[in-house]
Amino acid sequence: MNFDALIAYITSTPLTWIIVTLSAYKAGILIYEKTGKHALLQPIVIAYVIMLPILIVAQIPYKQYFESVSILHFFLGPATVALALPLYKNLKLIRAYLLPICITLFAGGIFTILSAVGILWLLSASKITMLSMTTKSVTAPITLITAQDIGANASLAIGFVVITGLLGALFGTFVFKLLKIKHDAAKGFALGLISHAVGTARAFEISENAAAFSALAMGLVGVFIAVFLPLVTQFL
Amino acid sequence: MLHGILTLLLFQFAGECISKLFELKIPGPIIGMVLLLLFLVIRKGSFHALDNAVFWLLRYLPLFIIPAAAGIITQVETISNELVAILASLIVGTFLALAFSAKLMDILISKKEER
Repeated sequence: MNFDALIAYITSTPLTWIIVTLSAYKAGILIYEKTGKHALLQPIVIAYVIMLPILIVAQIPYKQYFESVSILHFFLGPATVALALPLYKNLKLIRAYLLPICITLFAGGIFTILSAVGILWLLSASKITMLSMTTKSVTAPITLITAQDIGANASLAIGFVVITGLLGALFGTFVFKLLKIKHDAAKGFALGLISHAVGTARAFEISENAAAFSALAMGLVGVFIAVFLPLVTQFL
Repeated sequence: MLHGILTLLLFQFAGECISKLFELKIPGPIIGMVLLLLFLVIRKGSFHALDNAVFWLLRYLPLFIIPAAAGIITQVETISNELVAILASLIVGTFLALAFSAKLMDILISKKEER
């Protein structure tokens, strides 16, 4: 038996890391479903908790890990294009509330960037952190394809996106009670606008209508920020 | 399913080509998404293979994010140096933005319905 050849194979094949990554995500899905789909126990969060210690213990350079699993990363492009379909299905909602939707989209989209970056600026954070924070409310695939164009760090940006999603889902009910929000459409739209897919999962627990507005907001703000940010950041 | 995947890849390809050709600052897949949206509006509906491909891709979306997300291990220094600012920005920023957007939309809808 040739153990050296075996170990050389295991440490060099992309299969190892694809299997580890898929297993971590599968474990995430199982735990998420076992806990009754608790909004804070998103599969990606559990996958993070499992993956990071393994990567650290294995002492694999991140570049090598990324190259091994780049086949997964490839699907972000078509997945972004795929977001057109849920957007199309909820497009009819726009007609009923054209003005509220447009105003909230522009004002809320700019507010979520300025408030987060403003706080970083006040606490004298670095430029790369501020740029990576600009896409915090955007759904993850759009964040990743926009990150390069605006000079952000993709990994930091995605971390901020995941945490913003969780926080929005966590704060939702409390904020809506505090401010006496009456319309489900407003609750859903705000959740999707600020907390993308995690917010939309939370909106499903409010009502179908809230979820539809949330999915609509998530798509619209993704396009809005992806188009608007690279135009602004090129002057920085 | 294959027809659906091919449709998505073609729209992404078209988007990337347009972005390069006209030196646009907009990412190619975003242009592809807008083109597909226009296509669906003109066509007045989707088709089965596209529905399947989209369902599959969006269902496993978080999985596709993991390769980039794992890169957070290279950012430990930045995060520990700026931990307070980052946490304040995320927590306070998200709270304010959610409150602002929900209240604004709620007021606008109420005004519209009064009329």
